[in-house]
Amino acid sequence: MSPLDPAVTTEALMRLGASTAEAVAKALDAICSAPVERGDVTVVPGDETPFDAFPFADAPAVAISVHYVDGVTGGNVLLMTTRGARAIAAAMGGSDGADDAPPTELELSAVAEAANQMFAAAASATGVVLGQDVEIAPPDTQLLDSAAAAVEAFDATPHAVSTSFRACGEDCCLVQLVPNAFVVRMTRALGEQGSEQVSGDAGLSALGIARRMGPGEERALDEALRDIRVRVWAELGRTRVSLGAAPQLPPGAVLELDRKADDPVDLYVNGLRFASGRLVLTDEGEWALRLEEVAGRTQSTEVV
Amino acid sequence: MARVLVVDDAAFMRKVLSDALVSGGHEVVGEAGDGEAAIAAYRDLQPELVTLDITMPEKDGLATLRELIELDPAARVVICSALGQETKVLDAIKAGAKDFVVKPFERERLLGAVAKALGQAAVQAG
Repeated sequence: MSPLDPAVTTEALMRLGASTAEAVAKALDAICSAPVERGDVTVVPGDETPFDAFPFADAPAVAISVHYVDGVTGGNVLLMTTRGARAIAAAMGGSDGADDAPPTELELSAVAEAANQMFAAAASATGVVLGQDVEIAPPDTQLLDSAAAAVEAFDATPHAVSTSFRACGEDCCLVQLVPNAFVVRMTRALGEQGSEQVSGDAGLSALGIARRMGPGEERALDEALRDIRVRVWAELGRTRVSLGAAPQLPPGAVLELDRKADDPVDLYVNGLRFASGRLVLTDEGEWALRLEEVAGRTQSTEVV
Repeated sequence: MARVLVVDDAAFMRKVLSDALVSGGHEVVGEAGDGEAAIAAYRDLQPELVTLDITMPEKDGLATLRELIELDPAARVVICSALGQETKVLDAIKAGAKDFVVKPFERERLLGAVAKALGQAAVQAG
């Protein structure tokens, strides 16, 4: 398989790293009384381990990790010193141990909850970039005594991004473990930001995935993506209401959407507008979409 | 004041929720750390209200909510979500949750949501 364009890959990784680090920094700021210092977002070179940036010392580090369960493959790991973990737990109101003791179960749970809230916000930020919901699994907590132990604890991915922080007066480090398929999706999403309408030839490249790459790289992307299952949905129209107002809407309320009744309906593939067409009813009484335009091409296909 | 079942996989959040509920005059009749335990506790304890975390291992909050509503269509459930889970919150409201709070939340916001859920249920029952 041909490697992806390194510049494109780096851009995708930097954007991913920056949006996640921003969300984590905001959450840490809300928790810690002292200002949070954020270091640069760094794409980890292939010959280095992603956990080298964290200063492992005598006491084990606390590692909170989450992985994505839908939409995006990969994971985030937040490493912090034991003192940092206890300080965050105290700031959360969940400290019940002596100062020099190892973190208690309640303290670790408090830190995991803090990380859970950070990573949920980060997943939301990533979802905005990708144009699709990103869901995370519950956090997992481990005590690790070295970078080698961290490498052992988490599945290796082809790419990684790290960002260092000083929070509650202690070092912590965000490591994002990123597989190829994720970079491809991010690259596609970044490309999509520059153009509302996708274009391309056949196959996966018709989804606009490889717009900025050469033919060899497109083939590599096609291979990387071929087995990924994608969600397809049709959209009648959109409107906005506040999250607070939504539950108050009574049955019978009418929400006006931004489309006229005779406008075509858009078809989305994993958050990317891919085609448009007309709603039709099948003989079995199910809704279907007769496609009129697919990635800039005109044709007629029914999607049930 | 209500008899409340607190459901969250994080021991810390169970403590935060329980402390806040007790300070508001409610009685926490039980805690559960996962969906299966929540269903079992609901059957045993028959609480008047459940606070339910969305992100849990095995059976998540949405699946648990749907089972609770199937078990008891009048179940009063307040969802505890994190930022960025708006879609799931809306799904939960559609599935029958009475209200939601977004973590980190103020004690007053939680107690307000609980009061609202209890009030809504009383109006519907009457």
